[in-house]
Amino acid sequence: MEDRRAVRKKSGERGLALLAALALVLYLVFLVLPLLLSLRSSFTNENPLKASNDFVGLSNYTEMAGDDQLKASLTFTLILAFGVTIAANALGVGFAILLNRTSLSYRVMRTVAFLPQVLSGVIVAFVWETILTQNGLLNTALIKTGILDEPYPWLGSPNAALFSIGLVVTWVMSGFTTVVYLAALQSIPLELHDMASLDGVRGTQRFRKITWPMLAPGTTISVTISLITVLKLYDIITVLTGGGPANSTQSTALYIVKLAFTSDRVGYASAVAMLLLALSAVVALTVTSALRRREISL
Amino acid sequence: MIRKPLLAACVAGLLAFTAACGSGDGAGNESGETALTYLVFETPSLDAKFWDDSIVAASAQVPGVKINKIVAPSTDRDGYAKQLQQSGQFPDLLQSITPSNFVGAGLLKPYDKTWIDANFLLPSANSLKGEVYIPPTNSQIVPQVYYNKKLFADAGISAAPKNWAEFLDACAKLKAKNINPIELGGADPFAASMPLVGIVSADILGKNKNWLQDRYADKVKFADADVVTAVEKYRTLVEGGYFDKGALGVKYADSITRFTSGKSAMYPMGSWFLGSVPKDTADNFGSFPWPTDSGDVVVPFVGGGSMAISAKAKDTALAEKFGQAWSLNPKNLKTLIETDGAFPMLKGKSLDDYGVTVTQVFKDSYAYVGQDNNKVSAISWATNDDALPPGLNDAFYAAAQALFTKDDVAGEMKKLDDAWKTAAQ
Repeated sequence: MEDRRAVRKKSGERGLALLAALALVLYLVFLVLPLLLSLRSSFTNENPLKASNDFVGLSNYTEMAGDDQLKASLTFTLILAFGVTIAANALGVGFAILLNRTSLSYRVMRTVAFLPQVLSGVIVAFVWETILTQNGLLNTALIKTGILDEPYPWLGSPNAALFSIGLVVTWVMSGFTTVVYLAALQSIPLELHDMASLDGVRGTQRFRKITWPMLAPGTTISVTISLITVLKLYDIITVLTGGGPANSTQSTALYIVKLAFTSDRVGYASAVAMLLLALSAVVALTVTSALRRREISL
Repeated sequence: MIRKPLLAACVAGLLAFTAACGSGDGAGNESGETALTYLVFETPSLDAKFWDDSIVAASAQVPGVKINKIVAPSTDRDGYAKQLQQSGQFPDLLQSITPSNFVGAGLLKPYDKTWIDANFLLPSANSLKGEVYIPPTNSQIVPQVYYNKKLFADAGISAAPKNWAEFLDACAKLKAKNINPIELGGADPFAASMPLVGIVSADILGKNKNWLQDRYADKVKFADADVVTAVEKYRTLVEGGYFDKGALGVKYADSITRFTSGKSAMYPMGSWFLGSVPKDTADNFGSFPWPTDSGDVVVPFVGGGSMAISAKAKDTALAEKFGQAWSLNPKNLKTLIETDGAFPMLKGKSLDDYGVTVTQVFKDSYAYVGQDNNKVSAISWATNDDALPPGLNDAFYAAAQALFTKDDVAGEMKKLDDAWKTAAQ
């Protein structure tokens, strides 16, 4: 009996080791290795159409200081990331509170709320394009109801395009944030609410004093992941505006791809990618540590 | 003891998987055929069936070849070809790419000049430093101005404008009648650039055909006064309200529908638009060259063509034979003429020889190709020595979009010069 248990334990360990090794290999091959190759490339003048590349030291990094397109893309990306994160999390909390019921209809609505997150970004963007384009559903509806006299360029002017992209990405991210906050809501002990009721704490006060503080762990996850997702956004913008008009909605990720495969500047594109990686890491670490401190203080 | 073999097994498995993915390079098969990869792109007109049929027809004339079609995920075949090159999968044959992007890296093999001279009306339409990498099977004018005859008549315009002053006058008359004068699919950068392509090609290259070569030699700049003055014309059109205010939100496909359904009176576009003219109302449409101040005809011209051959193809001679067979097949040209508005450039063949049914506006537009007029490279479209450096097309398109909303011609032209400097480094 003892021997059999030991064999079973050993074979279980082997299985776990196999899975862990496979995950490690995949992680090394598909994440760490490309990252290191990209880092190496960022110190060269690599061009996909040249057989050999030269080491250029830090010149790609110093060039970034004077790159107006890069600055514009970073500004756009940061505005979008923080704007979407705030909006999607506010919506997520709201939807989660509304959908935090047990009946079947609410369970169906929860699935519907998560739907935008399940769909591919490209599909989402194509759907919204038919809504937001000059002759799209939104303009048609607004003109037919007499709100507008002529079509509004939702994707055709820099500010409107920023708003429109923000709207679409917020819609997509709200599916994710809703599920995170729903899970967080359901982990709040019922006793707390019962005690609050006995003490006469209701409505907004109960949300402020109990629900919101108890959502803190969920907020940390939701805010961090939302920020990181939007900081590397590529697909939705490519389909909706292609970075236009006049590069006004060009995210840094889109700029990197254009540098590498339109301007043939893979080396410089790699340096910009390293910058984006560092920026994402700094933003994520800062926000996470601030939110963690908040969790502890609560 | 356990972990090392397990790790080794995982690595071996992964390597085997990778090797399996990378195998099948098609160097040959049991029947002795040589397999070549062929990069194509699909559009509503040039669909999968067109490419498959054309491959079958050309393969039938080249014994021993087997073509494996690769479809670019978008119409940006240059970008996709670069990605394939980056990952070591550069195709053996590449349809309608911009050779200048690849020739510098020694990736393309030129066609036999004797064959080119023997078969094409303008053998050097695509030439790069004297070599031809894409057979000049067809050509385009980019842009021509297409117009709606009925809307012109409604506005009291009796004939197509012959110079810039008449063009502005027509715009004013149309606007006074509440007709949108010029259609612009500004949401797609290439379509947004059409008026600017017309202006710079007609006013700058029309006066100095070597302007782009001079730009390469740093003898001229975009920020020079003559270019800035020419581009100010675009601002004149914008400030005059001759485009729809929301034009930067109009997709290229929608701009075609808007123009053909009578929502705008004029449409500066590449001659491929001729493939979209509705047959039943074709007589209502006419065309004229982008107008110059003097009224001299300048034709912004692009030598189009079929496929380039990779210098590293498994069998370059066989690849060239396939490219030749494909390029001379009138059936392929028939589809390109009817659906893509291509102007055929095969020697000794008239439109009738292709068995095509074309509209009068097509014939009128095509006439500019045969006429003895001032043909210049269409800026940002030329694929010959006048092709822009990598990345400049995008910068040119972005300038066109920016100038729609921003009155800073000198600033945008300086940006183009800066982008040129970076691209040339």
